[in-house]
Amino acid sequence: MSTSSVYLDYAATTPVAPPVAARMAECLTLEGAFGNPGSTSHEYGERASELVEAARSEVAAAVGAEAADIIWTSGATESNNLAIFGVAQYYRGAGQHIITALTEHKSVLDPCRELERRGWHVTYLAPDRDGAVDPAQVAAALSPETVLVSLMHVNNETGVIQDIAALAALCARSGRARLHVDAAQSVGKCPIDFGALGIDLMSLSAHKAYGPKGAGALAVSRRRGVHLTPLVYGGGQERALRSGTLATHQAVGMGAAFALAGAALEPELERVAGLKERLWRALRALGGVYLNGGTRGVPHLLNVSFDDVEGESLLAAVSPYIAISTGSACTSASREPSYVLRALGRDDRLAESSLRFSFGRFTRESDIDAAAQAVSRAVTRLRRIAGRRSAGT
Amino acid sequence: MKYNELTRRYFDAAASGHSSGPGPSNGPGTLSGPGSFRGAAGSRALGTWVQFDMQVAAEPRVIAAMRFLAFGCPHVIAVAAWLAEHAVGRSVEPALPESVQALRARFEAPVEKLGRLLIVEDAWMAAMRAAAPAAVH
Repeated sequence: MSTSSVYLDYAATTPVAPPVAARMAECLTLEGAFGNPGSTSHEYGERASELVEAARSEVAAAVGAEAADIIWTSGATESNNLAIFGVAQYYRGAGQHIITALTEHKSVLDPCRELERRGWHVTYLAPDRDGAVDPAQVAAALSPETVLVSLMHVNNETGVIQDIAALAALCARSGRARLHVDAAQSVGKCPIDFGALGIDLMSLSAHKAYGPKGAGALAVSRRRGVHLTPLVYGGGQERALRSGTLATHQAVGMGAAFALAGAALEPELERVAGLKERLWRALRALGGVYLNGGTRGVPHLLNVSFDDVEGESLLAAVSPYIAISTGSACTSASREPSYVLRALGRDDRLAESSLRFSFGRFTRESDIDAAAQAVSRAVTRLRRIAGRRSAGT
Repeated sequence: MKYNELTRRYFDAAASGHSSGPGPSNGPGTLSGPGSFRGAAGSRALGTWVQFDMQVAAEPRVIAAMRFLAFGCPHVIAVAAWLAEHAVGRSVEPALPESVQALRARFEAPVEKLGRLLIVEDAWMAAMRAAAPAAVH
């Protein structure tokens, strides 16, 4: 595809890495592993099954899990739903209280709201201005009725990293609350070790890490004896937790992508951190620019708000040049300010005028410079139209 | 959000600091001096604010130049720019060159944005009111 704009929306999705696409393609043809991995009575199914299990091991190795912990799903949204509803259903006799945070992804918040409609009690923790949930807040909210704490590792809008080790220790001490971590944004960006941290359940996504869309996994700790009630029945695949014929090519793609994500991680993190600093330095010079999420975020994501700029116009002015996300959800009438940024204390205007830049494997310094130039030009001109001046003009 | 060609053209022209019409007299900015009048409406804090400045010629008493400032969505900026362009040569009167409904249709603004376009109209009428006493004298 030939495009003229710079792609800085890697937190939304990433292109499939060419070696990943090649391995996936091998599973789709008559000559390849097209068999049903559940049909192990013949060589076609056996071959597909071997590839799925190899991919399972690759995914597990990338996140410090055992292969047997990994349940294939269609993506992090399904994984989050399976974790929350599955735990709620299985452990409902032990208590009906869940703890989560206001800044979680909708695929966590919406299942929690649905459980509230079914009579459950949910505590929504408010993070500090930098987006961090203090483990002391969780400790204070834990009760004998708490069966699940669901908090994300890396926030998808701000890149803020939560202290999973401290949260896991708290849940372990409680003796009853299981910890579910949405780690959709983590792989390839911020190391996470499912086993060493003592996480009970962890949601993973392939397409955020140069794998295919429509592929994901839920790690369910067998060692810690975590149980779930399935959402889908019929066939008994995936420890009977997620029935249905496995998509061999999707699993293979996710495994390949996760194996690649771990390679040369440190130098890549350093390189991307340099890109983030380069962009932040250029944007900060405009004046009236605010960093959302503080400084404890992943290097791949920069979320900033601009004073004296209307959000929809800012996006319209920069969108011909840069592919990015905004801190708002577009509707036909207006843009709903980001609930994540509002939870961090940003007012509606600043939440609406935020831009999320996310960088990846194919981002170069020239892309950053082009983006900085486009945003600086747009902000300066929109402030001028609004009767305000940028600091640099 | 998708914008029609007209909205995109007027928004882009304004955002690049130019008037969209043939002359330099109607782009974003302000006017001052004798014969200049100003009207504004809306609130930045609430998301939409528009100001029109116009220069009124003595005889015949027509709008010689109009400039605008706007804090708002691309539809608001584009409509304000279009009005500033089409004001030149018109007599000083409260009515817009086109009704708000017609402007909404011309720029294909969603109906939910009607309120924002009414703020543009309010700013226009405020500018015309500011000029009206001079007409009496």
